[in-house]
Amino acid sequence: MDMDIPLPEELEFLEANYNAHEDYLDLEPPEPYPDEDLQVEEEAGQSKSPSSEGPPSSPGVLTNIQKRSRSTDGPDASILEDAGQSDEKRSRTVQAEVAQADEDWLRYSPPEESDPMVEEGAGAVVEEKLVWRYASEIDGDFIPVTAPSGGDRAYVKINVVDKEERRKKLGVIVQSGGLILEPINVLLQKVEQEAFTKALKASSGGQSDTILPETPAVHEQLWVDKYAPSTFTELLSDEQTNREVLLWLKQWDSCVFGSEVKSTPADVLSALRRHSSTVQHRKFSDSKFPSKNRGSRWNKEDFSHSSDVDDKDTSKGIQDLWNKKSRSTGPPEQKILLLCGPPGLGKTTLAHVAAKHCGYRVVEVNASDDRSSSVIEAKILDVVQMNSVTVDSRPKCLVIDEIDGALGDGKGAVEVILKMVSADRKSDLGKENVSKEENRQRTSTKKGRKIAPLLRPVICICNDLYAPALRPLRQIAKVHIFVQPTVSRVVSRLKHICNKEQMKTSSIALTGLAEYTECDIRSCLNTLQFLNKKKETLNVLEIGSQVVGRKDMSRSAFDIWKEIFQKRNIKRERRSNCRTQSTPSEFEFLHSLISNRGDYDLIVDGIHENILQLHYHDPLMQKTVKCLSSLGVSDLLHQHIMRTQQMPLLVYQPAIAIIVHRLVAQVQKPNIEWPKSYYRFRTMLMEKTETLRSWYYKIPPHISRHLSTKSFVEESISPLLHILSPSTLRPVAVNLLSDKEKNDLFQLISTMVSYSLTYRNIKTNSQPGDPRHEATLDASVLAFDPPINDFINFKGYKSCHYVLALAMKQVLVHEVEKQRILRVNTGRSGNLTDACNKENQVHLGEDTSGSQAAKAGNACAIAKNTEKPTSLSILRQSKPTKPTISSDLGSNTNAATASLNSKSSRNMKRSNGSSSFFDRFRKMNTKGSQNANNVVQEEETLARDLRPLLFKFNELGACEDKPAFDVVMVFYIMVHLKTIYSFEIIM
Amino acid sequence: MLWVDKYRPKTLDNVLVHQDVAQNLKKLVTEQDCPHLLFYGPSGSGKKTLIMAVIRQMFGPSAEKVKVENKTWKVEAGSRTIDIELTTLSSTNHVELNPSDAGFQDRYIVQEIIKEMAKNRPIDTKGKKGYKVLVLNEVDKLSREAQHSLRRTMEKYSAYCRLILCCNSSSKVTEAIRSRCLNVRINAPTEEQIVNVLEFIGKKEGLKIPSGFTARIAEKSNRSLRRAILSFETCRVQQYPFTSNQSIPPMDWEEYISEIASDIMKEQSPKRLYQVRLKLYELLVNCIPPEIVLKRLLYELLKKLDIELKHEVCHWAAYYEHRMRLGQKAIFHIEGTVSGEKNRALVKLRQKAWL
Repeated sequence: MDMDIPLPEELEFLEANYNAHEDYLDLEPPEPYPDEDLQVEEEAGQSKSPSSEGPPSSPGVLTNIQKRSRSTDGPDASILEDAGQSDEKRSRTVQAEVAQADEDWLRYSPPEESDPMVEEGAGAVVEEKLVWRYASEIDGDFIPVTAPSGGDRAYVKINVVDKEERRKKLGVIVQSGGLILEPINVLLQKVEQEAFTKALKASSGGQSDTILPETPAVHEQLWVDKYAPSTFTELLSDEQTNREVLLWLKQWDSCVFGSEVKSTPADVLSALRRHSSTVQHRKFSDSKFPSKNRGSRWNKEDFSHSSDVDDKDTSKGIQDLWNKKSRSTGPPEQKILLLCGPPGLGKTTLAHVAAKHCGYRVVEVNASDDRSSSVIEAKILDVVQMNSVTVDSRPKCLVIDEIDGALGDGKGAVEVILKMVSADRKSDLGKENVSKEENRQRTSTKKGRKIAPLLRPVICICNDLYAPALRPLRQIAKVHIFVQPTVSRVVSRLKHICNKEQMKTSSIALTGLAEYTECDIRSCLNTLQFLNKKKETLNVLEIGSQVVGRKDMSRSAFDIWKEIFQKRNIKRERRSNCRTQSTPSEFEFLHSLISNRGDYDLIVDGIHENILQLHYHDPLMQKTVKCLSSLGVSDLLHQHIMRTQQMPLLVYQPAIAIIVHRLVAQVQKPNIEWPKSYYRFRTMLMEKTETLRSWYYKIPPHISRHLSTKSFVEESISPLLHILSPSTLRPVAVNLLSDKEKNDLFQLISTMVSYSLTYRNIKTNSQPGDPRHEATLDASVLAFDPPINDFINFKGYKSCHYVLALAMKQVLVHEVEKQRILRVNTGRSGNLTDACNKENQVHLGEDTSGSQAAKAGNACAIAKNTEKPTSLSILRQSKPTKPTISSDLGSNTNAATASLNSKSSRNMKRSNGSSSFFDRFRKMNTKGSQNANNVVQEEETLARDLRPLLFKFNELGACEDKPAFDVVMVFYIMVHLKTIYSFEIIM
Repeated sequence: MLWVDKYRPKTLDNVLVHQDVAQNLKKLVTEQDCPHLLFYGPSGSGKKTLIMAVIRQMFGPSAEKVKVENKTWKVEAGSRTIDIELTTLSSTNHVELNPSDAGFQDRYIVQEIIKEMAKNRPIDTKGKKGYKVLVLNEVDKLSREAQHSLRRTMEKYSAYCRLILCCNSSSKVTEAIRSRCLNVRINAPTEEQIVNVLEFIGKKEGLKIPSGFTARIAEKSNRSLRRAILSFETCRVQQYPFTSNQSIPPMDWEEYISEIASDIMKEQSPKRLYQVRLKLYELLVNCIPPEIVLKRLLYELLKKLDIELKHEVCHWAAYYEHRMRLGQKAIFHIEGTVSGEKNRALVKLRQKAWL
């Protein structure tokens, strides 16, 4: 095996394992071409035919049997026969094998087919000898036998067989009593029966004659199945991919076989070893086989000698041995293998062959099965956990074919797999520190019953890697993209098959066919078989008409963009020219390609995205102008079609892409990106519009109704920002400002309030280039709350806006809040009729305040400075019913809360006497107070305590201590209630 | 409060800019037979202000007390129900809403919600003014289907519901709707008018304005009153005792576009075009309508181009703008323009080199 497998041990194991599990004989030493391998086999078959062909009256039957035995039992019987018969002359002991082999095919042959055989075999049964029609065919001793009924004569070969050996080999209990196995009367009965059935058949012979010619046509296998590669070396797909898939599968071994196989006792193992080696040795010394066949011989011998159980033990033993060696390796990092590629390249075949090769039993789930998530989950669990009780106890390997096929169904499968993988991940992460291998063992045994992590390899197969359903899978799976096998490989295989089927072809025609179908082996073979049936030969010039149909497949968008931007190879061009008129021209090719895909919008987007990155020669920009203008046309067309629903017009869309192709296509490979920018633009635009809109909702309606999202950035934003950050404002305390400056400040604050703007603490994503920010580049920066300054942050543009100093901003934040509260109150007292409106607003605000509270909770940990304003802004929501007198209190409340810890949240117990406002507040409060209850012990306070409390508020104005936010809120409202109460008392 | 809002006229009598229109409207409203109205004109010309003044004229000061309602409507559309979120400003007598907010679902807003609102007749004890007013903003952004469904509503409930439509361009409003309304065109104010307004504000604020300063602001304002007032205030904030040659801060996006324009002029290659594309995306992302971008870009380019090229460039800009309005992806067409102009500039350069 010259596969690229790193460890020699692995290789060894591979060999052994493979032999033990598979009944194949093809363990010839490495062969560069699988074809050769096949031919060897074929030659062997041909060489045997003159010497040992079955009865000439029924050659079809014999071949049939051979085929059948091959398909049912694997090729062992027939190949054994081959091997045995070809060497027949050399040693006499082999004769026994021949007998056995023949017995094999006799045993496998179904009764109706072996009808003539049995008839003749009446004698054969007697001594278990081979029967020939002609004596000349037999070299050695023979006896003639005449059939009792028909009088047909046949010749039976006599073999000198060591009885002991045969018994051992065949496991057949030979009756020691006489020459025949069965008593003579039984045999006579049988003969009578045979005669009877034959008479019956003869009476209805006419019927069977008419049926006969049809049956082979029905039974004929598709060539695709017939010549499907059954071993790893026969695979036609790309060598590199094959090896990687195999390697990936091998990585599972420690997990799969390691945890499952019981270790075989050492003595048994060694005994087995000794046994097999002696057998091999004997064989090797006895018969001078070519060294090439040695392995297979050895295997055969070994296999035939040992019973079923023995065989399994051998394999297990070797596996175990191997496991010991490779303990350190766990299952592969990516637990899913995703094979993708266009149809007909042999993905499914590879998966099956490789899995078999590594000793797995393949369980396939394909599009024809139910793939809803529940079904597939059960199935995967089956595969992962259950062990078959039947003879075939190999571990299973799940192959999910056509996973991209049906979107809805496939998704279920993908989800289940993802779930399992993620479950696995978690368990891995959890116990990282423990010794890795043990850990894995434990988790695999323990968790297997619960969440079921993946313990068996799962291979997914798809055509379109970029199918939306596969997106999550793509990230966790090991992806292998199939490439087309080289034309020469495909052609040589096709040729081989044609030879076998006795179909006349030329390699030129086959090359043409392979190119035409883009190396789709399946479609090649189907075409060939079809032509063979029609008794036609493949004609180079008429492939287009001969082949049943071009594949009508849609390619991925990437392929299409590539085709558009890349000129086809000149060499390929020429070759396609020699295919003359029947081949579609470049235009038609692209046209069909694009229209097969259909998603014109996406294709045009991709062209637009990538076209300017291409290296085409265009000094005068004429090409670019043409391209972009045709893209514009495409957009117009698209819009028109969508608006008027005139879908037939869509046929003109591909032409636009072809224009672009003609203009800019280059030979060199383009670097294509998925068109993201347009979608990014769309989403960002939405986001920003949403920001603006939600800001407008906050602004009082008499201002906001005059703003529109459309024209805000156009006309208002820049001046507004200038106005909001006047450079003339000195960052000093408010009481140090002159009257004029105070006036300006007041103006500014009123603007900010009316536009409901404020500053908010945000984490900077550090803009190191901006010198203005440098002063404030410590942990956080105050920025506009609705981030309106983002609207002028164009990339690569430096605005000349003055940014206020941090201190100034803090002052502003403070004052704005104060002002805001004041304003709301005055507004309220101004028109009481509005109360109900405001109430609505308050209730609306409740929700938002909840979310804001959460934010503020986070924020207060980061920056204590801004906590006050934020919390205040929330408090403001609950403010409107408060009399003006409390507004002064508002700014101080935060600080006061520290002292208020001892005070109870009395609102819960307050009687409903005072006013209806209280009701409302209680409702709003319940949530908050419940939180607070944990923090604050309930304590009764009397109404007379309230007035001193008010004083306390003022005193503690400077205190900077900040408790958790919700406490603040509750206290605030509580105090608020009290104040109203006291206010009323005073009144 | 910004001056824009502070000095916004509240009543039709106080209107400074479109006095004739205001007087006509006043007459119309006081006669109590108000038809549907369609206000159209460029932004910053005072449409909304006039509309609000009209409503105030109709219902008195109570129209100013509005509440914001954000409501989710469930609309039965065939077999399924669609949830549409819509924000309205409403007083007792009128409702303002922006149906185009719902995007492609605007049809349902018109068919269901507006109809629902129009159906409900306000109960007025005096029996006077038994109608309500629906103000629909940005009607030109409504889809064709929505506009079609609107016209039946307009006729059917006209006995007690008046629609006031507001849009920038009447050409995007269907013929049928336009014919059902009294069309009121609100021109962009002339520069003299803007100067008047600015002087008025200055007087009210007690500012000393050097002569010619307001004229300069008005000139730079693109005949948008809002923009003029805002820049006026900006100047005030930045440097109070005005000097006659004080700089008027420019709009950031305009600066950015002029950068783009100079990019275009500097080098003409696909690579450069790609960079320009990124910048254009930046502008579009920040809610600047593509038409405005295109227009401004043309303006900037015209400043830099040779005289012979100007005509051609204008032609192509118009051509591409037309296509842009027909099409969907504005960026395609803007780029078409950009590349086209690059091309032409290059051709010109080559020709010069030959000569």
